[in-house]
Amino acid sequence: MSRDVVAVKDLHKTVAVGFRRRRVHILKGVNLSVAANEVFGLLGPNGAGKTTTVKVVLGLMRPSSGSVELGVEGLGRVGYLPENPYFYDYLSGREFLGFCAQLFGDDAATRRERVGALLEDVSLVEAADTHLRKYSKGMLQRIGIAQALINDPELVLLDEPMTGLDPVGRVEVKRIIERLHERGKTVLFNSHILSDVHELCSRIAIMRDGRVIWTGTVDEALAEAETLEEFFMRVVQA
Amino acid sequence: MRQVRAIAVNTFKETIRDRVLAVIVVFALVMIAGGLWLGSISLGEQGRMMKDFGLAAVTGFGLIVAVFIAASLVHKEVEKRTVFVLFSKPVSRGAFIGGKFLGLCGTMAVVLAGMGMFLFALVGVLDGHASGMVLVATAMIYVQLLTVMAVTIFFSTLGSAILASVLGICVFIAGQLSQNVLALTNLGKNPLTEALSWVVYVIIPNLAAVDVKAGVVGEQTLAWGQIALWTAYLAAYIVVVLALAAVIFRRKEF
Repeated sequence: MSRDVVAVKDLHKTVAVGFRRRRVHILKGVNLSVAANEVFGLLGPNGAGKTTTVKVVLGLMRPSSGSVELGVEGLGRVGYLPENPYFYDYLSGREFLGFCAQLFGDDAATRRERVGALLEDVSLVEAADTHLRKYSKGMLQRIGIAQALINDPELVLLDEPMTGLDPVGRVEVKRIIERLHERGKTVLFNSHILSDVHELCSRIAIMRDGRVIWTGTVDEALAEAETLEEFFMRVVQA
Repeated sequence: MRQVRAIAVNTFKETIRDRVLAVIVVFALVMIAGGLWLGSISLGEQGRMMKDFGLAAVTGFGLIVAVFIAASLVHKEVEKRTVFVLFSKPVSRGAFIGGKFLGLCGTMAVVLAGMGMFLFALVGVLDGHASGMVLVATAMIYVQLLTVMAVTIFFSTLGSAILASVLGICVFIAGQLSQNVLALTNLGKNPLTEALSWVVYVIIPNLAAVDVKAGVVGEQTLAWGQIALWTAYLAAYIVVVLALAAVIFRRKEF
């Protein structure tokens, strides 16, 4: 049995919102495990707690209770693409990736090589020296994926990687995720686009109202419904 | 340390290429050049007037750049969520604050060097000889503004960019009056007022202590020893304020 790269146990997160600091429970006991070399899809309606779960996994938010264990050696082996990524307007794609590589302590030669290879992987070689403020949404998404892979991570977390992309962009991102899987990486991604999830994921979890309400393989889901969409609606509305 | 350097270089590139900064600097240069006109209507005091007005313009525009960039920098990273990219990598909050500050130091150095050299050239043309003291005064303005930048970054970790800007400007003004606060401690008979004045004197950076503009314009001899000591004090003040900013920032969730 393969080891877990992410193990989330009974995760709770409460935040205070508004002037009166009203307490809102975002996560109400999330349990989740992602095995090595799995492409895992985290699904759920808006506000289900998917992004918060990922942020807690990354340490961007602290859990109120519960635990998160990473089966990799710290954030140095993790890559992350946030939802609707925004980067530095006045840096070029090449400079931005170089900057990200520097944060991992890469030397100049390794940096150049890695940045060049990633720019090719995400098909941005021609726009490499253009300022990011001139990039389209799809190009920003691709440079975002490239920065997530700059440290050759074992675990890649992608928050809505297909959102806002045209069909060509979506195909390119899907190919990148497939290549990551072929190279033995573990991918956890949030998405609303169920056809992509169907195509890419080996296992999925469905969240609703701060909890994981269903976990299983795509085949298990499809055994209970004709399409993943139908299964998703059935689980979420149950 | 590599991370601090990377963040500093990135911050420098990002801020120095910002068109808003270029507009402010061009406007500042026009204002400094406006000192030529002021000089022309003052009898026999053209050089002195140019220095006085020019250094005031360097301070004013330098303050605008320092406060608004410092206030928006951390805030922008949080608002536009670039912090997600940074802190999902093994980057400490302290390295982030330190790198941002050092990057801004570079930007301010370029901005003030540009304005200072321009003023130096204008004074040289008017007086017929170059006055290196204008550059010394600009360097001391730089020290003052670095302090204001550190304080503004500190405030930006606590609240909004606008609040941080306003408080940064308030600290700059209060820093010019710091000596007066100390004088209050000698005047007061009330021990509470005296204690309060001391607290304010310690908290507010004494920016007036490194302000050599009047001495440079009046061509007086400067007390270099004292200026060096007060510069060291401001450097220590900056380190403490940035350390506090890092502690507060470490508690933030995104």
